[in-house]
Amino acid sequence: VSFDYLLDGFVVALSWQNLLVGLLGCFFGTIIGALPAIGPINGIALLLPIAYTIGLPAESTIILLSSVYMGSEYGGRISSILLNVPGDAGAVMTALDGNPMARQGRAGEALAISGISSFAGGMLGVVGLAFFAHLLSLLAIGFGPAEYFVLMVFSFATLASMVGKETVKTLIGCTIGLMLSTVGLDPTSGAYRFTFNEPELGSGIEFVMLVIGLFSISEAILLLEQHSAGATIIRQMGRSLPRMADLVLSAGATLRGSLIGFFMGVLPGTGASVASSIAYTTEKRLSDRHGTFGKGDVRGLASPEAANNAAATGSFVPMLTLGVPGSGTTAVMLGALMLYNIQPGPQMLTEQPLLVGGLIAALFIANILLLVLNLPMVGMFARLLTLPNWILVPGILVLSVVGVYSTNASVLALLMMVGIGIVGWILRKLAFDMAPILLGFVLGHLMEVNLRNALAISGGELGIFFHSPISLVLWVLALVIALAPYLVSRWVRKQA
Amino acid sequence: MESSTMKITLDSGRVAALFLLVFALLFAWSGSRIEYAFASDPLGPRAFPLLLAGALAVFSIWLFFRPGESEAWPRGRILWKGLGIPLCVALAALLLMPIGFFAVTFLLVTVIAWIFDAGLRRALISGVLQAALWQLVFVHLLGVYLPSGSLWGGLLP
Repeated sequence: VSFDYLLDGFVVALSWQNLLVGLLGCFFGTIIGALPAIGPINGIALLLPIAYTIGLPAESTIILLSSVYMGSEYGGRISSILLNVPGDAGAVMTALDGNPMARQGRAGEALAISGISSFAGGMLGVVGLAFFAHLLSLLAIGFGPAEYFVLMVFSFATLASMVGKETVKTLIGCTIGLMLSTVGLDPTSGAYRFTFNEPELGSGIEFVMLVIGLFSISEAILLLEQHSAGATIIRQMGRSLPRMADLVLSAGATLRGSLIGFFMGVLPGTGASVASSIAYTTEKRLSDRHGTFGKGDVRGLASPEAANNAAATGSFVPMLTLGVPGSGTTAVMLGALMLYNIQPGPQMLTEQPLLVGGLIAALFIANILLLVLNLPMVGMFARLLTLPNWILVPGILVLSVVGVYSTNASVLALLMMVGIGIVGWILRKLAFDMAPILLGFVLGHLMEVNLRNALAISGGELGIFFHSPISLVLWVLALVIALAPYLVSRWVRKQA
Repeated sequence: MESSTMKITLDSGRVAALFLLVFALLFAWSGSRIEYAFASDPLGPRAFPLLLAGALAVFSIWLFFRPGESEAWPRGRILWKGLGIPLCVALAALLLMPIGFFAVTFLLVTVIAWIFDAGLRRALISGVLQAALWQLVFVHLLGVYLPSGSLWGGLLP
């Protein structure tokens, strides 16, 4: 494999249709990120079925969705800074220093600096993506069913160790997702599983319905509960050009945030939110000598913003090379590819070079478009923050109904979406994260197929999962990552 | 309205753990009755679901002893309004075929806006405007097929 696919990718991404789609994605993404009500998964879940039903080709759909993802990582900072309410999960840390800056009358500067560090993080991520996608795809040739199964185990180990505060809830989420993936026709034996004689369940639980139910319907109920708690928006922007001294001061933080973010993004399952919180705490430990973090320190603003954009880009690496999503949002994109009958996996780069190259090129272009959208035009997006819930929530619900109906043409699917939404709301109230369910669901089929294929090859011998060097390395990594939080907390206690 | 919420932390986590355990047992029972004529691999279609059911059972027992944190549940008016949202979407789904997308959008937007305290007048205006907007975007601009309503018998566009 050479890097030719990247050049071809730019040809794809620079076609007028894909440029337009990318620009629309960046624009909507920034809005989705800025609005506290909806994050990237929601936005992508609502746009995916529409893109699919109006007949956009697979490359264009992926370009649209990834531009939305990038855009929302830029947009999330706007409400973090101006409202002290994170626009999406990746922007939680941005509020810690961004909002104090805004309250000191430096909102314009905070927006500009975070915009620039988002750009730096995103661009570093794209370069890393191009490089690592190439490297990993060479490695991916050595993956057979056994290695693939161990890779899934590794993915769940990172998820359980990194995502959410309570390991058991993440594990339960993964298991529920895996269980849901077993519904429908089992292709190797022809058996119908858990369909209860309902023909619509024969092909399994439909992905768009599950995502929209889990995220949008449950979100609407949560929004009603938070409805009474008001937040105040900061309108005084101050100067909108960053000071040179601040840019120099934040350069190191931006670079460190980008690197941490990218590698957290590459790990299966850990996306922008985990990355930005690790970047922020690391930066605080390294640079906070005068206790200025949390009071409007530019480094505390630049680091998580660089990290969340780098992580969003990094999470495409395992998705494109191994078919394992790097985050909840890339899990939805993996589902999007399946809608187009493209099976993600180790052969992605060799079988779909235009799609992979086009996506990487589109991310490069999206970062430039987003910098332009987010520096001079930030005031326009800021005005959207005052959009009341009574306009926004009905809109989200209409989009949910259209999305699920247009992909299924079935009223039953809509009713199931509502049921899933209620269960999702209950789980979210119990502090369950929704992303593990989604990852379990997306990986479930692959996990089972590879488990069974590996055992069919070995004749039922379990040793096949420990034979190759790749499997052994993955087992060791899984063990290290699973034990990491425990070991780190012991080490920290010893230091104290 | 904030005072109408109550902190239930330990109990709801435990109740959820019990529900999950029952679900795992039902899943295992149903999984063990999967019928199949042949299997080309040593495991067959039953093993993976049974493995998952076992895992969920273990995790739910773990959760029962360590229920962890959970948020306060809404009560009173907020609870009824909150449950009203999925109910409205379900009704919208059932009405979609008979009265069509335009009318369903109008009703759904109006009622949900009203639930979110828009006031009746603003809710109605929002309903009309959003129904027109989404009809224009999806049906006319993007060409998505959405039912126009069997009740009207082709009287409407």
